[in-house]
Amino acid sequence: MAEVYKLIHPVKHFNDYISLNIRPDGRVFNEHRNIKLNVNSIKTAEASAVVKCGNTTVICGIQLELATPKAEQPDIGFLVTNVELPPLCSSKSKPGPPSDHAQVTSKIVSDILINSKCIDLKDLCIVPDKLAWVLYCDMVCIDNDGSLVDACIMTLITSLKTLSLPSVTYDAETEDIKVDPSVRKKLNVSGTPVATSFAVYKHNQSNIILADPTAYEEEMCGGSGASLIVCYNNGLLCGTHKFGGSNLSADCQDVTLKTAKEKSAIVENVINVCKQDYESNK
Amino acid sequence: MVTDNADLTDFKLKPMKCEFNYLSKSDGSAILSQGETVALVSVNGPQDIKMQSQSIEKSTLEVIFSPKGGKPSVGDRYKENVIRQTSETAILGCLYPRTGITVTIQELEDFGGLLSCSVNCVCLALLNSGVAMRCVFAAVMCAIDDSGNITLDPGAAQLETARAVMNFVFDGRDRSLITGFTEGNFSEDAYREALERCRAASELVFTFYRDIVKKYSNVIG
Amino acid sequence: MPLDYRRFNGPEDSVSYKIYTKDYIKPYEERYNELLDENGLRKDGRALNEARSMFARTDMVSQAKGSSYVEFKKTKVVCSVFDPREIPHQNEFSQLGQIFCEVKFAPFSCPRKRRPHAPDNEERALSVALRQALEPTVCRHLFPNYQIDVFIYILEHDGSCLAAAINAAGLALADAAVPMYDIITSCSLAVIGDKVFVDPTEAEEHVAKTSLEDSNINHGIVTMSFLSELKQISDFTQVGSMDVECITKAMEVLEVECEKLVPNFQRIMVMNVIHNFEQRKRLDDEAKEREEALNKKMEEWKQLMSAG
Repeated sequence: MAEVYKLIHPVKHFNDYISLNIRPDGRVFNEHRNIKLNVNSIKTAEASAVVKCGNTTVICGIQLELATPKAEQPDIGFLVTNVELPPLCSSKSKPGPPSDHAQVTSKIVSDILINSKCIDLKDLCIVPDKLAWVLYCDMVCIDNDGSLVDACIMTLITSLKTLSLPSVTYDAETEDIKVDPSVRKKLNVSGTPVATSFAVYKHNQSNIILADPTAYEEEMCGGSGASLIVCYNNGLLCGTHKFGGSNLSADCQDVTLKTAKEKSAIVENVINVCKQDYESNK
Repeated sequence: MVTDNADLTDFKLKPMKCEFNYLSKSDGSAILSQGETVALVSVNGPQDIKMQSQSIEKSTLEVIFSPKGGKPSVGDRYKENVIRQTSETAILGCLYPRTGITVTIQELEDFGGLLSCSVNCVCLALLNSGVAMRCVFAAVMCAIDDSGNITLDPGAAQLETARAVMNFVFDGRDRSLITGFTEGNFSEDAYREALERCRAASELVFTFYRDIVKKYSNVIG
Repeated sequence: MPLDYRRFNGPEDSVSYKIYTKDYIKPYEERYNELLDENGLRKDGRALNEARSMFARTDMVSQAKGSSYVEFKKTKVVCSVFDPREIPHQNEFSQLGQIFCEVKFAPFSCPRKRRPHAPDNEERALSVALRQALEPTVCRHLFPNYQIDVFIYILEHDGSCLAAAINAAGLALADAAVPMYDIITSCSLAVIGDKVFVDPTEAEEHVAKTSLEDSNINHGIVTMSFLSELKQISDFTQVGSMDVECITKAMEVLEVECEKLVPNFQRIMVMNVIHNFEQRKRLDDEAKEREEALNKKMEEWKQLMSAG
């Protein structure tokens, strides 16, 4: 019965729940979904992580390549992050080149990574002007049930934290390159950027902030592009993004900052536990 | 007709100059300069669009951002998304179901703050086109340097040394936040202060809108 | 290659670091000899005719109508199936429903090189093979002029990709309650000379695909999908060159292997049905409770109304 109601009158269905101070999946407004994190499950990638936030599933795999640094910046390496939304992750994505939504998500994720300054690109340079690492980080969404950026950042940071670079010897005279994958050095990641999404719902002239929204909630609050994303790293904000949707007043702003800060502590803990577990099992 | 707001120059924002109806063939157009940064926007619609992209609930908004040179990139899609989401909130799209509105932004000069200039220019062009809107919106940008000083509407030189750059778009009715996006990292307090400063400064932009519309409108005049 | 404007791109001259490692290029003999140890067992300890154990589950993607996940040790495949929709860009009436298949490798799925984002020949070939395997299985006459989308995403490639994809698609279609004639199962084997590797790994497939110029030995990969109840072969894909006896022998082996998978599939599907029934029952009970509460309210109001 509820399913039929949701189908014919989605707005009212949602509104009924909100007026009872509960969300359709039974959470309260600032409650997050459960997080499941698993590292190194893809053996063909140098480092990988799978994260599930509720139903939303994202897999990140990192592959390493070598290239000549850019002439303008000879002492830095490359970090290429892309978010893929293959058609299987939701009925909205279609086969073919990345949709606008996928591109915007890619851009937000890469912005957060750059702004948080958690990776020093100089660490990726091997020989200035001659040789540098290229980190291809591909985040693939298997199931898109809202709050995509949160999951992407989480799996990306976890993968980066478990990544180690093979040692490279470069002969300056013969330009001969030798790589020894058995001797590895860990990549330095400072801090743990954590993103938190919120959907802003206008209900009786006041704003209601829903933390970690599902795809259905995002749809009800002005589409998946309209979420507010707050990102913390080491207690500092490293990016807030809000695009349209319902307007945000000053007091709601404070609520989101507080919730995001709380979540960042939890996620940081999850990632660290996972990382330690992985390292002790190695 | 070129309108100048010389009386605002000693305020905190860069001088703004705007001209309506810059393009003769489009339904609405505006060219706006904020300091040395210049953007040109044309608005077409509501008009017929393909069956697939029609929506029975509201008009479909299409935003095209064309950079001055170079190839299209992921960054351009991001800018388009910022402008589309912002305009979608402001436009009363439910009045024009099954139609499309196209907003085209042409970058002319970028000396910092192109995106906030574009957002303001889009608002002016929408006003000019006569599309029904819920509210007007104004973008204000600010930079925070290493010692925590906040500069409103920074120039190219200040942007280079800035630790963080923030852009905010406010609603014309109650000055609440429609859109916001930031670069760099910063503390919560700095964020709050910057937001309030920008909110206050948005008043200047709204005044500017009012002046411009007055100058072009013989009825309100 | 033209630059992709819709993604972030790395530098054009970047190459995998693996080509600079010591053991990147190995001669054929060495690679061949590495496949089996002195006891005649494969690298992962299996006998030649032993398939890997399979893990499969349904209900993997919440947004899809039906979905599944299939794992043959390291080979990991996700599949989702969406509601039938009208065939786009078509004017003629099509008597039979169509199946649209897309197989995609994750960029990080292959051990040797980065997968390109744009669909390559291998992916296209796999998509076609998958469609051919599924077409005789699905009751296509039940949804004329409509198409069903089947999307396969290969997270990790360690051999037998097509077989895993067909298995996953069969499960996902069943999960989506698409009418089908029979359970479809699939298995593959690699032939190198006189040896037959059932359910090959990527390394074994790589050797099997290599054709030597001077010798004329049997080599290649055979994948077969099978409808066990009807005893029909729905698809047969073969790469490489081998003689007829070899192929008939391979088919016999594959038929047995495909049959072995059927009980597993049946169990997954039955469990699925039981689970759904339980859920349905729970929802019905809840609905009943709500209705009772509503009726009670109604009665109260009625009394209030009549009381004035």
